[in-house]
Amino acid sequence: MFHWLEQRPFFFAVAVFLVVAFAGIIEIIPDFAKQSKPVVGTKPYTILELTGRHVYIKDSCNACHSQLIRPFKSETDRYGMYSLSGEYAYDRPFLWGSKRTGPDLWRVGNYRTTDWHENHMWDPKSVVPGSIMPAYKHHFTNIADVETAYAEAYTVKAVFNTPYDVDINGDGSVDVPLGTWEEAKARALEEARAIAADMKNQSVKDAVARGEIPEIVALIAYMNSLK
Amino acid sequence: MKSMWIGGIILIVALMAGTYIVAGDAFNLGEDYINDLTMLAGLAIISITVFVALKYIQQIKNDKAGGELAEDNWDGIGEYKNPIPTGWGLAFIGTLVWLFWYWTVGYPTSGFSQIGQYNEEVLEYNAKYEAKWANADEATLKAMGESLYLVNCAPCHGVDANGIDGKAQNLTQRISKESVVYAIKNGGNNFVTHYPGGMPGGLLYEDADINAVANWIANGAKGEAPEAFTTGTCNSCHGDDARGIAMVGPNLVSYDNDMITAVLDDGKKGNIGIMPAFKGMLNETQYKALGSYLRSIGE
Repeated sequence: MFHWLEQRPFFFAVAVFLVVAFAGIIEIIPDFAKQSKPVVGTKPYTILELTGRHVYIKDSCNACHSQLIRPFKSETDRYGMYSLSGEYAYDRPFLWGSKRTGPDLWRVGNYRTTDWHENHMWDPKSVVPGSIMPAYKHHFTNIADVETAYAEAYTVKAVFNTPYDVDINGDGSVDVPLGTWEEAKARALEEARAIAADMKNQSVKDAVARGEIPEIVALIAYMNSLK
Repeated sequence: MKSMWIGGIILIVALMAGTYIVAGDAFNLGEDYINDLTMLAGLAIISITVFVALKYIQQIKNDKAGGELAEDNWDGIGEYKNPIPTGWGLAFIGTLVWLFWYWTVGYPTSGFSQIGQYNEEVLEYNAKYEAKWANADEATLKAMGESLYLVNCAPCHGVDANGIDGKAQNLTQRISKESVVYAIKNGGNNFVTHYPGGMPGGLLYEDADINAVANWIANGAKGEAPEAFTTGTCNSCHGDDARGIAMVGPNLVSYDNDMITAVLDDGKKGNIGIMPAFKGMLNETQYKALGSYLRSIGE
């Protein structure tokens, strides 16, 4: 057999690939089955949170901020409980990031508030002296793209079976509703109103009252969902 | 040849000295065994590299091919029937033995996990922490509280605790007039763990009464309590001197430890905004330390 392969470079290459791939397959496949299961309590992002996630990605927050708390005492002291793989089950893609110019944000919803994020995005130095983060004042005027977020949620629901419109924890009610575009839009606006109520910027409040959702509101919804 | 060996040893010493100059502060024997092992491994790698290189340079210079030639030859190129070097053979077999041990026994039974390591680290740290700070005095608690404050509280309350222009509670005073007015009008049920009753809103409804109580409390409850405080049922929960009653109403005059614990455990929503809860992120000693620090900056 080996003699036969030695004389045929193409089949030799195929055989090498198969041998090497085998190790990868037996390492990776069981992990898919085991670890991609969401941790109990993990829910898909709501439309508004998903919109904020898009803002987060669009403005490359992940270039400086990571979202992965490692199991070291020093990390958990500062950021909270270390991250588990199942918590990222509905993150497409995950935003672990590799650099920590700014702090880790995976559990930022536990120790920062709507109000704080508002101040921080308007003028980072006002709450963190010495911060080198730029101000993101355009978040207060730009209108967030809820349509794309709905499209994404609809897609992952249809393609990856992400549990929108499903009773996840078995208490008889739908945990994260998605519904039609009209329903989703109304629900996003409702969430946005709750957040704007905790904010101080009048133009943002006005925009939400008019039925528009500024990027800052969506981003804060996303930040508050990270816990 | 002798000069080459001497040169080799000098090179090793120079490389080690270089390493020590660059990373010498990590070389405290016994402090962290990982660093010590790394230095030891560094020494081994440098020495082996230098001596092996020297050996081969010597061989290239001096050795002549020798031994019995195999019968076959390929276009005039022959092969000696010399055995493999003993050291290489032993290393090969040794590696095989180690491999089978490691795959079948060593790795599966070592049971290492990063989270296991984390748990051990935390247990060890907590035990050390308990032992070290079991009976910390006030000055120690104050210093500890200050560093805790700068990490956990300063992002909202400001480095000098003035609340950054109304972004959060000004911690240099116990309570502001606005907060008292807000609480009287809207009630409060923030501290469900420590003051489970909560406070209903609208216990005082005359503006004059509300103002009188708010002024008196914001000024540190000095002197005679206003009539509205004693007759408006404020005192039945917060006490006649406004210093609080355990499990019933929090202290309105100073940041006592019960009050601090309540805020940190449950968070708070008042006239300024929401404060997140810090339960689970800080331990009891740290709560006490924060209390000591906050009392020290208020005076």
